[in-house]
Amino acid sequence: MTQALEGFLQALSAGILIGAVYGLMCVGLGLIFGVMRVINFAHGDFMMLGMYAAFYLFTALGVQAAFGNAFGPFVAILLAGPILALFGYAIHLALISRVSGTRTSALEGEGHYAQLILTLGIALILQNGGLIVFGSVLASIRTPLSSSAWVLGPFFDISIFINKARGIDAVVSFIAMILLTLLITRSRIGKSLRAAADNPTAATYMGIDVDRAHRVAFALGSGITAIAGGLLATNYPFHPFVGVEYVIVMYAGVVLGGMGSIIGAFWGGMTIGLVQQMSTLILPTQLQNAAIFVVFLLIIFFRPQGFFGRVVERT
Amino acid sequence: MLRIEALTAGYSAIPVLNGVSIDVEQGQFVAIVGPNGAGKTTLFKTISGIVQPSAGSIMFEDRDLLSVPPAQRAHLGIAHVPEGRQVFPSLTVMENLEMGAMTEAGQRDWKHNIERIFEWLPVLAERRGQFAGTLSGGQQQMLAIGRGLASSPKLLMLDEPSMGLAPTIADFIFERLIEIRRQSRLTILLVEQRVAEALESADHGYVIEAGRVALEGNNQTLRADDRIRKAYLGM
Repeated sequence: MTQALEGFLQALSAGILIGAVYGLMCVGLGLIFGVMRVINFAHGDFMMLGMYAAFYLFTALGVQAAFGNAFGPFVAILLAGPILALFGYAIHLALISRVSGTRTSALEGEGHYAQLILTLGIALILQNGGLIVFGSVLASIRTPLSSSAWVLGPFFDISIFINKARGIDAVVSFIAMILLTLLITRSRIGKSLRAAADNPTAATYMGIDVDRAHRVAFALGSGITAIAGGLLATNYPFHPFVGVEYVIVMYAGVVLGGMGSIIGAFWGGMTIGLVQQMSTLILPTQLQNAAIFVVFLLIIFFRPQGFFGRVVERT
Repeated sequence: MLRIEALTAGYSAIPVLNGVSIDVEQGQFVAIVGPNGAGKTTLFKTISGIVQPSAGSIMFEDRDLLSVPPAQRAHLGIAHVPEGRQVFPSLTVMENLEMGAMTEAGQRDWKHNIERIFEWLPVLAERRGQFAGTLSGGQQQMLAIGRGLASSPKLLMLDEPSMGLAPTIADFIFERLIEIRRQSRLTILLVEQRVAEALESADHGYVIEAGRVALEGNNQTLRADDRIRKAYLGM
């Protein structure tokens, strides 16, 4: 009995920790897909680039030497955010803006078909380009914290182990999420992003440059997901094709949380993390991903608009 | 202040406006009336830059408006209160008003503007924390007008503020507009289907039919015109 309870609590805590990072990852896509309604199938590969950016910043560009083995990785990961934000900004300026925003708002499907093909193309280029540049060897951002744990308890013979790296990953995710929520809900730029998403034409009448708002959201979303990717990389090895494994989870998280809701995307990602970890209690590990999508279907069946989706007509 | 000359514009190859010329002087209240599909909304969209004209010119305070990017036009002092209200549904009433105040002048005068807007349209003060998507049609229209006023505009363009509203509510909104105009001396360009009310309160009027200016004149001339009396005023 005690053992079962201990296993349950251990899986629960692992689920919350990984769920926080998944949540942050989904929030990045939530800005682009949920709020601005731009389909980006290369988002997983943007995350892959974020992982490699953090990796090279840490190992080759002096962050390890400057900040040490334990906390250096986290500095590198946070620095990878702005780098990928710039990358996202450039990709939007050069490519995505041609199939989204004011240019396509009057078209059938708002340019989604072109976005689908374009971003799948970008994904292929990034994956195969990554293979050439980074090679196929598994990489990981190693910190001694990944192999040590804090022990909670014992409470009545039950002890819970918290992996230190995962613990810090979760804390960083929560802080990033809170800062982003404040930015989106309180700041002028955040409000104008939401206005541009709500009604691009009316936003233009207000003097908001809608295409620029889209670009800022795209950059912000890319940077956020890159940070989440870096955090994942402290525990999971990665390779140039790692994006494919995560991009579907990201879309599931955004839809689960409710289109257009940033907080929803976070809880969507959290749900996926929890289901993934808890399912190992009763199912073989190979069925983790199957369990995620069974739960996804169940939730969408009973609540098609997702957790935080509003059933309000978009004018 | 606003001088439109021989403007031709439309969608794809089909022109909706065909050589329209309209003048709005500083401080004037100009009404544009005409049947559905005459091109009134297209005219507004062309002024705001959403529709590209194929010929003609638009000058705003001696500045070539057509060379100004659409999102910059609000910053010059043009507020467009669009047809069908088009408030931001997932933003609160207050946030909608803040969006109106994105312009430099709107930022500068925010405190003063918001005070006046709440005085003119008190329902907005009561509902300030409510999502705009949950307001009634009349309330949304008032919000759209308040949002336009929040930018401290030099020219307020109103596209059918009575559209889709119950007659009593439309009357109320019209009354508010007259009051706002009386107190602020704002230059107003109004498009309206309620011809009698529009012509009564405006200084100058244009009748647009099938993309052309069919008739223009001051308030008295138009109301005395036989064609208008027959076609629009039902006399």
